[in-house]
Amino acid sequence: MDMLTKPALNVVKKSRKGYHITFAVIALLLALSPFLIDGTSLVQFLGKCMCYAIVGIALDLIWGYTGMLSLGHGLWFCLGGYAMAMFLKLEGTGGKITDFMQTGGLDALPWFWTPFGSFPVTLALIIVIPAVFAGLVGFFVFRSRIKGVYFSIITQALTWAVYSLFMANSKYTGGNNGITDIASVFGKTKGEANRPNLLLLFFVTLAVLVLVYLLATYLTGRKFGKLLIAIRDGENRTYFSGYSVNSYKNFIYAVSAVLAAIAGALFVNFNGSITPTQMTIGYSITMVIWVAVGGRGTIIGAVIGAFFINLCEYNFSSGILVEAWQYIIGAIFCLTILLFKGGIVGIVRDNIPSLIRKIKERKKPAEKEAA
Amino acid sequence: MIVKKGLIKKIAVAAAACCLAMTITSCGQTAQTSTAQESVTVGLLHSLTGSMAISEKAVSDAEKLAIAEINAAGGVLGKQISFIEEDGASDPSTFATKAEKLIDQDKVATVFGCWTSSSRKAVKPVFEDYNALLWYPVQYEGMEASKNIVYAGAAPNQQIVPAVEYLIEKGYKKFFLMGSDYVFPRTANMIIEAQVKAAGLEVVGVEYADMDQTDFAAIIAKIEAAKPDVILNTLNGSGNVSFFKQMSEKNYTSADYMTMSFSIAEEEVTAIGASLLTGHLVSWNYYQTTDTAKNKDFVAAYKSKFGESRVTSDPAEAAYINVYLWKAAVEKANSFDVAKVIEAVETGTISFDAPEGLVTLNGENHHLAKRVRIGEVSTDGLIYEISSSGTPVDPDPYLTTYDWAVAAGIQPLE
Repeated sequence: MDMLTKPALNVVKKSRKGYHITFAVIALLLALSPFLIDGTSLVQFLGKCMCYAIVGIALDLIWGYTGMLSLGHGLWFCLGGYAMAMFLKLEGTGGKITDFMQTGGLDALPWFWTPFGSFPVTLALIIVIPAVFAGLVGFFVFRSRIKGVYFSIITQALTWAVYSLFMANSKYTGGNNGITDIASVFGKTKGEANRPNLLLLFFVTLAVLVLVYLLATYLTGRKFGKLLIAIRDGENRTYFSGYSVNSYKNFIYAVSAVLAAIAGALFVNFNGSITPTQMTIGYSITMVIWVAVGGRGTIIGAVIGAFFINLCEYNFSSGILVEAWQYIIGAIFCLTILLFKGGIVGIVRDNIPSLIRKIKERKKPAEKEAA
Repeated sequence: MIVKKGLIKKIAVAAAACCLAMTITSCGQTAQTSTAQESVTVGLLHSLTGSMAISEKAVSDAEKLAIAEINAAGGVLGKQISFIEEDGASDPSTFATKAEKLIDQDKVATVFGCWTSSSRKAVKPVFEDYNALLWYPVQYEGMEASKNIVYAGAAPNQQIVPAVEYLIEKGYKKFFLMGSDYVFPRTANMIIEAQVKAAGLEVVGVEYADMDQTDFAAIIAKIEAAKPDVILNTLNGSGNVSFFKQMSEKNYTSADYMTMSFSIAEEEVTAIGASLLTGHLVSWNYYQTTDTAKNKDFVAAYKSKFGESRVTSDPAEAAYINVYLWKAAVEKANSFDVAKVIEAVETGTISFDAPEGLVTLNGENHHLAKRVRIGEVSTDGLIYEISSSGTPVDPDPYLTTYDWAVAAGIQPLE
């Protein structure tokens, strides 16, 4: 960035200010939404969207900034989700075994379920498990200098492996049904009677989203962020400049995994269940699409993309559009990758200032003529 | 070139804007249908996209047929039924989201929906917390009885258990269990193993295939080594196509290895190919060929509405039953209010003269008393009944009335 000329630097600073204002507006709208919306189902859904936005931010950190495309972030999302679901399920059964364990022929709680009986331990594990796992994976992957498409393939394979593991061990994980029939940490959230619980959960999630956004902008706004961009744009050069590229990549990968896990843990509270579908490669790629369409490398783009695409899907309920939507989203994704690398944020950022300038210029001659 | 690229960009932005506009209009549509006064709105919640879309189309079509018939006959409590359809996208979490949308936002009177157990389990807490009512149309693994769900498909004791009883009666002694690796086959096999062992017979192998497995060479080799009298097949979906194809490539027919399948109905026979399945056994409550006057009308109506090439099947018929049972319950309650409808359901007197024969809704566990039919696949792609329970079998989702099941520890959690 130091190489940028002054006006270019101004543009960067200006657009960053724009991002922050946009996020503040989104957060404000979200904070007001429960009081403006009738009923609870849409509030629930906005809650889920906030979780998606957090995953989006997590992906943007490693893809948009560091240039590592992970096609398996569903894995981290689900690790957090399952950890929280295990705690909530045990709350429901009072620490006894679950229905799927009984069907599977178990008569005692498996040893790895027992820590999830405690809330503080669960919270710690939501962070520690993905951090350690992603740290280990990252250590071996980055040490071998695996990057680009090979990194993407490894993340996919890893996700597929864990997915199969969860599917096959149905007496421990609930198989393809997943862990169902759970309330949130604040109790039941569905229905008008449980609105206070829902609001509590909603605002906790909003607070987490704001914190995650602040953390992401903090990380990317300083020298560390510039290094990530340097790794993206010229990994070898950064390497030869004396930076330990592997450590940086490993760190940001683990941070991203932890953020995705936190999103998953929050998501379960809204959703009332977690299934391996959230871990599939297809779902992981959907997450990438949110970021791409919103605009990568901007943080705010991930938030906008997650809300935009999920709200569209929510509203396409029946008729021709349901089937067409798959094609529409595919086309949008292709067009974004081919023509609009900046996504929605990029279109606005690149066109609005020049549009304003054009309007101003058009006015000027008019004023002169009038004079 | 530059001009061209700019043009493409403009077109793309315009397309995106159109897309947004469509989103907004689709919002408007939903609001319109739900404010209609002279009609009552119900929800249909099935996968319109994704891997389950093909199967679930048959059930949602059957529900639409029943709604059209009821409307033509004057509606329910003098009101015409209108429906809002939502897409579950073959994803349990989407099912939960859309179920909540139907109940809370669209304020539907009731919901007909789901196919897979995972989608039913995902929406169960939604229906319970809102005190809404779901009508579920597919046979399943049992071990469930929610106050807010009516299960119109077979419980294990109306499909699996009688099928095994039939095989034991016919003198089959060595059983091989094969299924897709998910909850229904695992639970089914747990039940079958307990039942076979209690009869003093032998399970010579249990094998699970991945959901989308296409290579069955290893499993077929194990079957050849175990030499079973009969294979109990709980494979689901595309696995069946591969399995029966690879069996026929080895020139095995039902004379070499008899199979009894629990997830192959008329729709699947068409997909797999009747020639590969000829002579094999299945177990359901209803076939397209079931000989009742009601069924002749049902099949004719289904074909004339959706096409001559379409076939009716057990899940489609159960979905059709569900709409009529809801109508009967609403009329009994004289109200669309869910609490009152559930009260009417729990009187245990709701019944319907269905294509499969008279079905009665059990007030305690919300399942149906229905006839069990063992069928054989014929060369014409249809399934013909070869044995029947004669009278309706009472539902027992937890198998509490079977001594061997209780002895094996198959019972609800306290």
